[in-house]
Amino acid sequence: MITIDGLSKSFGSVRAVDGLTFSAQPGTVTGFLGPNGAGKTTTLRMLLGLVTPTSGRALIDGRPYAELERPAELVGAALEATGFHPGRSARNHLRVICAAAGLPVQRVDAALELTGLTEAADRGVGGFSLGMRQRLALAAAVLGEPEVLILDEPANGLDPAGIAWLRSLLRNLADGGCTVLVSSHVLSEVEQTVDHVVIVARGRLVRDVALAELMHDHGGLRVRTAQAAELTAELERAGASVRTDDGRLLVTGVSAERIGQAALDARAVLTELTEERSGLEEIFLQLTRDEMLGAEPAGTVAGS
Amino acid sequence: MIRLIQAELLKIRSTRMWLGMLALSLGFTLLGLGFFIALAGVEMNGQPGLPPVTDPETVRGFYASASGGVLFMMILGIIGITGEYRHQTITQAFLTTPGRNRVLIAKLISYSLFGAAFGVANVVFTVAIALPALAIKGGSTSLLDHDVPIILGGTVLAMALYALVGLGLGALIRNQVAAIIVAVGWTQLVESLLTVLVPSVGQWLPVGAVRAITRVTGFGGGAELDTLPVWGGTLLLLGYGLAFAAIATVTTVRRDIT
Repeated sequence: MITIDGLSKSFGSVRAVDGLTFSAQPGTVTGFLGPNGAGKTTTLRMLLGLVTPTSGRALIDGRPYAELERPAELVGAALEATGFHPGRSARNHLRVICAAAGLPVQRVDAALELTGLTEAADRGVGGFSLGMRQRLALAAAVLGEPEVLILDEPANGLDPAGIAWLRSLLRNLADGGCTVLVSSHVLSEVEQTVDHVVIVARGRLVRDVALAELMHDHGGLRVRTAQAAELTAELERAGASVRTDDGRLLVTGVSAERIGQAALDARAVLTELTEERSGLEEIFLQLTRDEMLGAEPAGTVAGS
Repeated sequence: MIRLIQAELLKIRSTRMWLGMLALSLGFTLLGLGFFIALAGVEMNGQPGLPPVTDPETVRGFYASASGGVLFMMILGIIGITGEYRHQTITQAFLTTPGRNRVLIAKLISYSLFGAAFGVANVVFTVAIALPALAIKGGSTSLLDHDVPIILGGTVLAMALYALVGLGLGALIRNQVAAIIVAVGWTQLVESLLTVLVPSVGQWLPVGAVRAITRVTGFGGGAELDTLPVWGGTLLLLGYGLAFAAIATVTTVRRDIT
């Protein structure tokens, strides 16, 4: 289990991570999401003892990474697909890690097999595509058969088949009791795999919620009308559930056509009728927009 | 610690860099030997180019060629640490072994072992050429006289200690190209100038220490340079090696790896 507790990191005057608190549980895949520059990588590097926090704690099974006795057998990490010597073969890259971690050398073949790199194992990493480097980074992460897996943007550079393979790998590991924390700035990569999402922007926590809870909002229609009360009554008679949100109605359980009919019956003038995106994607897009506009990210997202 | 040393030695062996450095150092050794073979006892414009092979100083010069490529072991040490930053493999190294000083100590031990092996290769190469060459030219064929054991043993030691200096320098500067430029510039230019201009200071510098250990006192019969005794040079170079090793450790242990 991963515990992030009041974690902060400043680089000079830049506050990369700002009082972040969340946890990732065994048996679940936790998506660690946020736009580029949100502090995801810095957080993961603090968790792995590579960067010293300015304040707060980042613990794995209750201990800082640096205090783990045999870290390779508890924690597997794939940080970026760049940490390879171009002249060293994939097999030798893994053999170096095995030697340093005291793992049996047979694990090298197993990890190569799992990541589909057996054929390319004896070639220099310099000739590898980004996707193959990602696979090699994953091979290094699973070398010690760890209980905790920490992956930073693992889907970068993977082709669609590779992403599908990654998803099933993460699912299987989590189902086997692993704690999986996977960061991404591309939502669609992880949306189908994660059980829990932690969303950050500008180093601060935005949402920490089970995916199922977010998806509860999913699939609604957004309606704007001056005759909200009349339309709500009409829609509820038609079996819809209606919530009011920022002057609009969020309607679930009926089709757009049925809403049109209800509006006619209630003599309500519609000024907007839109398919609502999933809650997760909506939050995410809003954050990215805020980030691009340089605005402070909102604690909750109002939309429009 | 044994595991970490094995990992570091595997890192060295699994890329071809060491082969290039070995080839260069053997090339420099060959160059030095060629110089002595060509000029020892040969008349040049009526003057002897170098004293003949019967002169102990010339015999020393033959064997001292073994240390001609000592700089390349320092460069290998520099690459050994700066390459980890350049290719970001340092991240994986510290993930596998969060105790960073253990990684550094393993690196220092591995590179000094590798440097010693590197030195042995240069010594064997030198003896294989110098011994027959001296025999043909009628010089001493004894490997025990004329300080030859000290020169050859000193070469092995100098290689091992230069590796430490390279690691320390690399850890301090971290930029590979800059570190190599500093190393080459210092040993070939700055220290050469200092040695000629202020010999009393030059003898206390790294190249001066190597000169003391390998008994090269003045190249080609030139003026004798101020040089420490063998034991003094050994201690001095060991001091430099350990000082740079300490720098390597201290500068790396607390730094953020981003």
